[in-house]
Amino acid sequence: MNNTSNQTPALPAGMSTGFLKTLGIAALLVLVITRWNDFISVFANVLLWIYDLLGNGPHMFGIAIILFTILIRLVTWPLNAQQMKGAAAMQEMNNDKEWQAIQKKYAKDKEKLSQEQMRIYRERGINPFGSCLPTLIQFPIIIALYQSITRALASTPLDLLKLSRSIIFPFLDVSELIPLNSKFLWMNLGQPESVNVFGFALPTLAIIVALTTYIQSKLTLPPSTNPNDQSAAMGQSMAITMPLMLGWFALTFPSGLSVYFITSNLLGIVQYAAQGKANWRNLLPGGQKQQQKK
Amino acid sequence: MRKKPVFVTLVLLIAVILGGCAGGPIRGTTWAGLAANDTTAYLADGSFVFAVNLNDGRQAWQYPAKANSKQLFYATPVFTPEGYVIIGSSGTDHILVAIDPNDINPETQSPAEAWTFTDAKDHWVAAPLIVGDKLFAANSDGNIYVLNLSDERSTKEAEQVIELGGRLWAQPITDGERVFVTSLDHSVVAIDAKTYEILWHEDLTSAIPGSAVIGADGMLYVGTLDSHFEKIDPATGEHETVLTTEGWLWGTPAVEGDNIFIADLTGELYSYNTSTGANNWPSIKPDGAVTASPLILPGYILFATESGRTEEDPGNLFAVSPEGKIMWNEEISGTKSGKIYTTPVLAGDLILVAPLGAEGYLYAYSLDGREASWSPFIPGK
Repeated sequence: MNNTSNQTPALPAGMSTGFLKTLGIAALLVLVITRWNDFISVFANVLLWIYDLLGNGPHMFGIAIILFTILIRLVTWPLNAQQMKGAAAMQEMNNDKEWQAIQKKYAKDKEKLSQEQMRIYRERGINPFGSCLPTLIQFPIIIALYQSITRALASTPLDLLKLSRSIIFPFLDVSELIPLNSKFLWMNLGQPESVNVFGFALPTLAIIVALTTYIQSKLTLPPSTNPNDQSAAMGQSMAITMPLMLGWFALTFPSGLSVYFITSNLLGIVQYAAQGKANWRNLLPGGQKQQQKK
Repeated sequence: MRKKPVFVTLVLLIAVILGGCAGGPIRGTTWAGLAANDTTAYLADGSFVFAVNLNDGRQAWQYPAKANSKQLFYATPVFTPEGYVIIGSSGTDHILVAIDPNDINPETQSPAEAWTFTDAKDHWVAAPLIVGDKLFAANSDGNIYVLNLSDERSTKEAEQVIELGGRLWAQPITDGERVFVTSLDHSVVAIDAKTYEILWHEDLTSAIPGSAVIGADGMLYVGTLDSHFEKIDPATGEHETVLTTEGWLWGTPAVEGDNIFIADLTGELYSYNTSTGANNWPSIKPDGAVTASPLILPGYILFATESGRTEEDPGNLFAVSPEGKIMWNEEISGTKSGKIYTTPVLAGDLILVAPLGAEGYLYAYSLDGREASWSPFIPGK
């Protein structure tokens, strides 16, 4: 028997850094939630600052949103990279023969299966939260961006009053910037978008949002050879639900948020493609099934 | 895999947070619009416009009968000579509607629509202005829509669309011959009330959320968000800054004889004399910010503050004498206190206040600051 009473309990090998990262992200999230109004203010100030730099003319707030989205993607690049890495590691494990054999062997013993799963995580240095926690960061960003766009556009007197109290950059003279020019291309960024086609209000942005979200989701689905792979099934399910959900948001909320979604999706596709991880075959009908057969 | 429930929960959470405003009655996206005659108060507050009987504080009716997700009401209601109540929607339908309080549906207890106007492209924040039989309706799309009130059409079309640009959030005013419009795009515009010709268009360097007023000297006075109180020649548009304030000027000034009363977002109250061109007394700062316009009452001026000394404190009413002394103050009471942004209204011998975020929708006070027995009004109670 090993005597471990005098030893500091060590984190499982390979999980310590992942665990610390997870803790760091969780602490960051708690900080963001507790200081939510300040978080929104920072977003609104950066947006207004970019808008001011662009000369605050027509269409410039739309361009400011696009540039701001690029900035956010750059800031969260390491998180996205970690997410991709984590997802790839999980997928590799799901396709692993040893793991598949263990799954079969302990199909009726959930506790043992769980122990074996943790052992494999330890041995291979996989952080089970490595792919999902970075995703967590995206949610406050989306909500904060939505709130900062509506606050910056100030479509109600109360929004304008809140905006006046959100200015933390001393060099921003918001009394001169107001009102922001909410026109971008054919859109009013403060209103949900639609184009009148033969008397029918066609929500073009919502369609583009849903389409680009679908493409991004499909491209990032790693190939799976394991028919019992639950994460692949979840990925397939999310590839359908996420475009519908974001499409609905685009249909309902100010079109400035749709500009963010589309820009973010396109940048995500570019990021995956640049890293050689885009799975273009998934876009073809039955592409996923063909890969499972292989 | 445990990721799935976590992810699905997050998706649902974001849907709830972002979609929190979808479905059901909405209230609190901005402050209410309030108007009243001697017997009835009209409160545009979110999904509904409420008519409140001022004798007993009971609801006379609400419009519409059921919440419509495309409609939100915050613009101050306006009365027509025929007795209709005109209200503009800040929702996505951009409708301007005249409702007939004398034609109540007995089943829904909701008044009938006398006419509607649906051609505006953005939401209604400003109350429209009636000049004779014409309605000058300022919309956030930057247009003034001139409607004929005597054409007896149930679906109105604009007799004239005056394109000014910017966002028009303040009720236009008139001297009988001209209509003066202030805009968030920093401008003040004079329009001929008969020909609709733009007479002059002046840039004041900052946004103007409130209306202008006409002083006893016949000049226009208006406050701006860069803390300038401007005097404008109504004939030419020539203007000069007569007062620089501590904070942003939001509400419409109030006029009593030679005196004009204004308040800013730092909470400073000012009394400017148009004949001397100077302040009557040094500004005073009772407590929080002021967005509401001062209300001239017999013997004093009523200022309503957003909050107390700290943001957590509720809004206050301050009765200030013409000499600048605080005569009394009253806090918005209740289990859930509110903030005052809407300009209080005098109805008979009652002061009406519509705070935001309070338990009650409408509070009533006597002229010496005592709350009325039926106050506050809460729909359904």
